[in-house]
Amino acid sequence: MKWQRSIPLKRNTLVLTAVLFILAVFAWAGWANWEYRQQAAERLLASAAKGELVADPAGGMAQYASPLKGKPAPAFALEDLSGKKVTLASYKGKAVLINFWATWCGPCKLETPWLVELRNKYAGQGFEILGVSTEGEDLKKDDKAGRDKDRAAIGKFVEQMKVPYPMLLDGDSISQAYGGLDAMPTSFFVDRKGTVVAAQMGLTSESDIESNIKKALGE
Amino acid sequence: MTIARSKIGLMATLAFGLACLLAHGQNYGGERRVLKSDAVQFMFPEQVTVVAGKASVVALHFRIAQGLHINSHTPKDEFLIPTTFSIPEGAGVRIESATYPAGTELVLPMDPKNKISVYTGEFTILARIVASKGNNLVEAKLRYQACDNSACMPPKTIAVAIDVIGQ
Repeated sequence: MKWQRSIPLKRNTLVLTAVLFILAVFAWAGWANWEYRQQAAERLLASAAKGELVADPAGGMAQYASPLKGKPAPAFALEDLSGKKVTLASYKGKAVLINFWATWCGPCKLETPWLVELRNKYAGQGFEILGVSTEGEDLKKDDKAGRDKDRAAIGKFVEQMKVPYPMLLDGDSISQAYGGLDAMPTSFFVDRKGTVVAAQMGLTSESDIESNIKKALGE
Repeated sequence: MTIARSKIGLMATLAFGLACLLAHGQNYGGERRVLKSDAVQFMFPEQVTVVAGKASVVALHFRIAQGLHINSHTPKDEFLIPTTFSIPEGAGVRIESATYPAGTELVLPMDPKNKISVYTGEFTILARIVASKGNNLVEAKLRYQACDNSACMPPKTIAVAIDVIGQ
């Protein structure tokens, strides 16, 4: 009798252990899955939005590793606010900062006063900035009303900030040539020979921009 | 009798385990499908049942990727792009109104003087909709513009797929 009663007891214990084990395994699997998805999402988002940041060998701030660095800056011809065509080629012999920005981009507006100040400081040494407005996928080529509104908003901003350098439109048409431009602001520093010597993505600091301008000037 | 009960217990355990495994696999597959570089993901509901021809409020839940924020529906700067929800015409469902959450005030480290109105983490839009009778597969749209503390991504419009059953 004792032996017969102990069998169901042992089985119950076994079943309970099995249930607890399975629950523990699935709880762990759920947690591991959630963790994996979080990490994968962050990795993917970081690669899409930030480009690649690499440490500066000189020990300074991390630099945006654009594939264009060391290569000729892609040529372009874009209209400015007055409708005049402006080409990059016409600036050969000058150091140029190509600054991709957008009216909806807060950090772009924060760096504009720095750009104005630095442009005025180094213009005498053969330096110019080309602001390139890049509005993104929502503004279609055939959306005349949207483009007019955009042009008016850029004009208003240029006036407010007293921007002394050319402000070019339709940066989206050259964004692929410049690496896709996943985030704004993005700047390319081009030396007097037309080679990209540095690139920055996101708001950094005035001193960081200045050191790249000096690089482009060959100082 | 005891042995029979144990067998039932064991089978129930196995069935439960199998169900968990299937649920786990489905959840994993679902998440993988929506795993993109989008800053905002539509979470739920995938399906709602409403009274046909009558206005019903549906709560739509979204999640913003960690470290990012998007402008609220009422950003403080005229140039900033507000978050908006819309339903294209001819989908069998029309939107009467949408109630957006109030934005959280955020001060960026680089711009301590200004406050911006944003959404972070998870947020919910209450859409007042009127659906036709039957099964209406709606591809609604959410337009937003995302930034982190130092850079902004171009404005984006994502599809919000909902199966609206009008009864």
